[in-house]
Amino acid sequence: MSEGRFPRDTTRQADGILHGAVARLLHRVTGVVIVAFVLVHVVAQAIYHVPALAAIKAGVPPMEELKTLHWIHAVLYFSIVFHTLYGLKLLVLELGAKLDYRNSLWAIVGVSALFGIREIARYAGI
Amino acid sequence: MSEIKVTAEIRRFDPSRDEAPRYQRFEVSGMSNMRVLDVIRSIYENEAGDLAYQFACRIGRCGTCAVKVNGVPVLACQERCKPVMRIEPLTPFPVLRDLVVDRTEIEGRYAGLHLAPMREHTHAGQAESIAPQLAEELCHLDSCLACMVCVSGCPAVRERAFDGPAFMLKLRHIAKHPADHGNRLGQAVEGGMLECFGCDVCTQLCPADLSPAQAIREFRRELAFGGEKRS
Repeated sequence: MSEGRFPRDTTRQADGILHGAVARLLHRVTGVVIVAFVLVHVVAQAIYHVPALAAIKAGVPPMEELKTLHWIHAVLYFSIVFHTLYGLKLLVLELGAKLDYRNSLWAIVGVSALFGIREIARYAGI
Repeated sequence: MSEIKVTAEIRRFDPSRDEAPRYQRFEVSGMSNMRVLDVIRSIYENEAGDLAYQFACRIGRCGTCAVKVNGVPVLACQERCKPVMRIEPLTPFPVLRDLVVDRTEIEGRYAGLHLAPMREHTHAGQAESIAPQLAEELCHLDSCLACMVCVSGCPAVRERAFDGPAFMLKLRHIAKHPADHGNRLGQAVEGGMLECFGCDVCTQLCPADLSPAQAIREFRRELAFGGEKRS
């Protein structure tokens, strides 16, 4: 408790969201998205560039479409930015920085969302 | 003050009689500023005399009445009632009956941590000087209620071999004591300190306005860079 401040109100603990739970869930989901992307990317590159796998390329026509889906780019950019920034936040906290867990979470979500929205806007030609 | 009608579902379970837990629904009317404990007491006094629950101080200082309300661990004497509530005992502790959990293991863990200063020399029998700022900090850390709200809400406790934020906070408290020379960092690591996600759920839930997550971060910093004890 800092000086000159009343203890916070603990009479409505069960009403709001648990910021830490949201942060942890997002961190985990975005991590899974990034790992899944890397796996798919490696497999796709192998199919494109390894002659022995050329037959598979012909059998998977949606591969070209996947590359141009704006929501996939938006989710991927959001995930990369969120995961990176939240990971950095955990690191700087452990190094001694003082950050409010609520404000920092929403700031990171906001910045990450901007990157995701930018991708959607880019595909929409805005 | 307006009135409110509360629908409370309480988890009932008597291990000596029931095969599995069940939820019993009650309707309680009262003032809108009723606390969850008021609702439980009303149910006990008017509808279910066999309901097991516990409380002591009713002002959020003893930590005895901690329960889960709609999945969130809270102090029943502090939390305002909701129109619809599901009241359950704290997890992951064994249930003795209804809303009462067995604290034997909790007390055992506290005892095992030896939470009195481990001195290098015997106490001189005189008052020891301590910096006012450190004394204030120690007093604040000592305000932990041991209510286990943070342990119940901690995702790392659910998923990993982690004793829980409350124990880490107590260890940090005693580690900061100038007279203590015990290996508190080692105890914290042994208790699973490194398993903490750093998500600050414990900080948000703590009824005493403490931050066990910050205590864990301080331990981790000490583990990485070493630390000097203030006096």
